[in-house]
Amino acid sequence: MSAPAPLELRGLRQVFYPGTANEVVALNGIDLVVPADQFVTIIGSNGSGKSTLLNAVAGTFAVTAGKVVLDGRDVTKQAEHVRSRMIGRVFQDPRAGTAPSMTIEENLAISLLRQSRSGLRRGVTNRRREVMRAQLSRLGMGLEGRLKAGVNKLSGGQRQAMSLLMATIAEPSLLLLDEHTAALDPKVAATIMDLTAAIVVERGLTTLMVTHNMELALRYGDRLIMMHGGRVVLDIDKEQKAALEVGDLIEKFHEVAGEAFAIDRMLLEP
Amino acid sequence: MEVIISSALEQGLIYCFMVLGVFLTFRVLDFPDLTVDGSLPLGAAVTGALIIGGHSPLLATAAGVGAGMCAGGVTGCLHLLLKSGESDSINYGPKLLAGILTMTALYTVNLRVMGRSNIPLLGVETIFEKVGAFLSLTMVGWNVVIAVAALAIVVKYVLDWLLHTEFGLTLLATGDNEQMIRAMGTNTNFTRIVGLAIANGLVALTGSLVAQQQGFADVGMGLGTIVAGLAGVIMGEVIFGVRSISWVLFSVIGGSIIYRLLIAISLRLGIAPTDLKLLTAVLVVAALSIPTVRRKVVRL
Repeated sequence: MSAPAPLELRGLRQVFYPGTANEVVALNGIDLVVPADQFVTIIGSNGSGKSTLLNAVAGTFAVTAGKVVLDGRDVTKQAEHVRSRMIGRVFQDPRAGTAPSMTIEENLAISLLRQSRSGLRRGVTNRRREVMRAQLSRLGMGLEGRLKAGVNKLSGGQRQAMSLLMATIAEPSLLLLDEHTAALDPKVAATIMDLTAAIVVERGLTTLMVTHNMELALRYGDRLIMMHGGRVVLDIDKEQKAALEVGDLIEKFHEVAGEAFAIDRMLLEP
Repeated sequence: MEVIISSALEQGLIYCFMVLGVFLTFRVLDFPDLTVDGSLPLGAAVTGALIIGGHSPLLATAAGVGAGMCAGGVTGCLHLLLKSGESDSINYGPKLLAGILTMTALYTVNLRVMGRSNIPLLGVETIFEKVGAFLSLTMVGWNVVIAVAALAIVVKYVLDWLLHTEFGLTLLATGDNEQMIRAMGTNTNFTRIVGLAIANGLVALTGSLVAQQQGFADVGMGLGTIVAGLAGVIMGEVIFGVRSISWVLFSVIGGSIIYRLLIAISLRLGIAPTDLKLLTAVLVVAALSIPTVRRKVVRL
């Protein structure tokens, strides 16, 4: 048998506000195995549970039922910050992934420390600066010459590129992308998306990417999952994906969801 | 005039540890910590009680600092109990309440430690006399200023070093973007508690030194500490700038000195000592609203 899958979800259920009038079943029995190096794109309408799924994997809250297994280890009961050593995350808001009043080099030093315990050694060392410059130069944004600049001086695209670098620099077992290009203007979003794909392939990162954008979901990744009402309603591999177009996907959605497709951002976006 | 300057310098330097503590909580940790009104007299009370009990003033001072660190730790733990979710770092309610609860509880603790509301420390050996005897100097006037300045510089460089270590970076990030640093695998509950402990240890150091310098520990001596501390932080930042962590630590010490100098001048001009708290509050309001008015945020 080969090494265990980076991510395995068994019967995952998440109920918010249980027992109240506001009760929401956000995840309703998710079973999912993601093998090593797979890049999975996840689509679904608002409230389908796709962001909740990422948060459940990351440990933002304790799930109601089911198991989260990372690299063969059951981490369901593990605190978020402990799990985080193995998981890289990029959020929708470019401000979420970096510390604004700290410098570029301080931010990157933090991300380099992910797997080790932070001790009383100097945080920013010359050796780490070398690594940072090499990593920053591949972003192609000229940030390698501005290590001492405050992150709050950077544009949204630059900050999101930094977030992506910080999430992946310590080579996590799993990369979670939560609509990480949705808040950027189209041109910058395309740059960040290409960068993401390049980094994921280069480092062989197992990745889950949530997106509202069907075109992105079809163009990138090796597997596509559609969620609805807290369930996985469609799960197709690379070949099947290649044969599909956005129109087919919408049709597919009608078929599996079996109900009127709410007009939301998913339809409105290109 | 020289006496005014040397005594204002002395006060400003003795209080700079408290101002550094307030800087750590307010600015670095983004935690408006009201514990300080209780941890300053706690440092004084513990030191006073131990000196009266016949212990060495060095030990008494160290114990005062230790007690202050514990008080900060308690506030950090209370905050964990009071906050509702992991990601509500911008909700100041639980932070304020945790500090208020510890501060209130400390009033009782301080009275218990002292056994009464005031301990006179006249005619006993204090840390100033101890250091003076060691250096064969009489600890009055400028000698006190120089001794406390030396301690302030040591504390400044230790803080500077700490904030540039790996742990220090996670401490800075805890106050700057808690969601991010949690996603990077840092237990922010731990960093916050450690930060609060260090800050309140510094505040208690000021309390301990004040008691030994003015010759008594009093249960009411912490009143308004948080506002005076904020005044020092803001003045330092506005007057000396915030270009880097190393720089801003000096700015804050400078702010503390300027603030005590202003107080000395106000008293000289005939303002009643009892009016100073109102003046300080007005000063803080004015200083805090300047950045809002100018849309220029002073943060690190």
